Amino acid sequence: MTFAQAAEAHLDDVYGYLAWFTSDRYAAEDLTATTFERALRLWHRFDPDRGSARTWLCQVARTVALDHFRSEKRRTRREQLAAPPEAVDFRFAEGLSPDLERALARLTAGEREVVALRVLLDLDAAAASRILGISPTNCTTRLNRALKKLEEALDVAA
Amino acid sequence: MSQRDVLAELRAAQVAAPAEVRERVRLVVAESPAPPRRHVTWRRALVIAVPVAAAVAAAVVFTRPSHPHPQAAEQRAIPHGSAAAGADKLAPTITTRSGTPAFVPSARNRVQVVGTTLSLRIATAKDVSDAVKRAVQITTSLSGYAASVHEQTHGKFASANLTLKVPRAHVQQAMSRLAQLGTITAEQVQVTDKTAGLNATGREIARLQKQLAAARAASPPNPKQIAALATHIQRLQRSEAQTRLNAHYATIKLHLATPPAAPRKHGHGPLHGVVVALRWLGIGAVYALAIGVPVAIVLALIWLAVRFIRRRREDALLN
Repeated sequence: MTFAQAAEAHLDDVYGYLAWFTSDRYAAEDLTATTFERALRLWHRFDPDRGSARTWLCQVARTVALDHFRSEKRRTRREQLAAPPEAVDFRFAEGLSPDLERALARLTAGEREVVALRVLLDLDAAAASRILGISPTNCTTRLNRALKKLEEALDVAA
Repeated sequence: MSQRDVLAELRAAQVAAPAEVRERVRLVVAESPAPPRRHVTWRRALVIAVPVAAAVAAAVVFTRPSHPHPQAAEQRAIPHGSAAAGADKLAPTITTRSGTPAFVPSARNRVQVVGTTLSLRIATAKDVSDAVKRAVQITTSLSGYAASVHEQTHGKFASANLTLKVPRAHVQQAMSRLAQLGTITAEQVQVTDKTAGLNATGREIARLQKQLAAARAASPPNPKQIAALATHIQRLQRSEAQTRLNAHYATIKLHLATPPAAPRKHGHGPLHGVVVALRWLGIGAVYALAIGVPVAIVLALIWLAVRFIRRRREDALLN
């Protein structure tokens, strides 16, 4: 598989993961482009025997997203002194009910990340845990906790 | 809404990258062709480099000469009689393993203490006994005497240690005749010149005698000073006489011995090299374990600590 083929095949997955992770469409678009630029430079390190191209691209995307979160944290810390950030109206996906959209937005980035990987991208626990750098059990626990929070939020909304 | 319904709704969701993102990624891929995959990674290089380094180290260890050649030791010995010149000034020591006895430098008009050591190889145990008797005869025939004789026999092997006192004038002759009792394996000659010391002692005695005469002539004479001077003079005279006596006789330490038992030859089988290699590998493994295990534990602890800190920071960032 060439890098061009991998990029074409998994672009939507990477974008979806980043969009849910950051809950910011504009940031996700920029981060997706940055992810593929970085992935192109690191493509020689990709080993198909150790995992799929999708998992590897998600690992790169996660690193890019974490850098983004760090810089955002620093930026908001500075800007919050002047003016509080505006709430961004973001739609996670087409076809989701407004209550579920709101419930997803209330999750933390870490919880949305695991939901994106396990549910949206439909990765198994082993692949998701490799991306997150945690054990599969821990990954499943995080997912259950996130789903429970979604369920509770939806019950309250109902 | 149950958790199953939530999951079903989430799974039904479709997220597609916007067209502009797709275009940006296409540009990224098109503008910069992917670098060729590297076939030589650092892991592969390590897999090759470690055995090569081990093989080089093993070759160095096995090909390095562990003992100097006996011929070289023979050549390094001081040449026979080379230190004879000027031997009466300092205390020259001549060590040789040649077949003829060393020349014993000696000057008749000087007072010198001569000590020699002669080691001879004798063919059989019986010959050692005969050689001891013959050595004592040679010594007495040269107006000398045997100060000590120690002989021991153990089966086919025998050895004897003799301390012989020979007049200094005959020491060269004694060495020549003793050397004929067997084959010389080692010998050493040491000459210490005492002339300067004796001259100084003589001058000291003369000076003290003058003082003694002056003390006796004084009025009134001081008995204590006279007694002290007389005692000192006597002590110096005794010391001088003892030195002259020691210098009169040369000491020859004679060691006679049968050849040592030939070392048993080890028959190396065809797998000897393998055994040696395995032994070295075992030694290397022990060293590697002794050094590597603590280092590995420390590195593992550092790695765990770094991972723990990184995860804590990530959790703080994402939650």
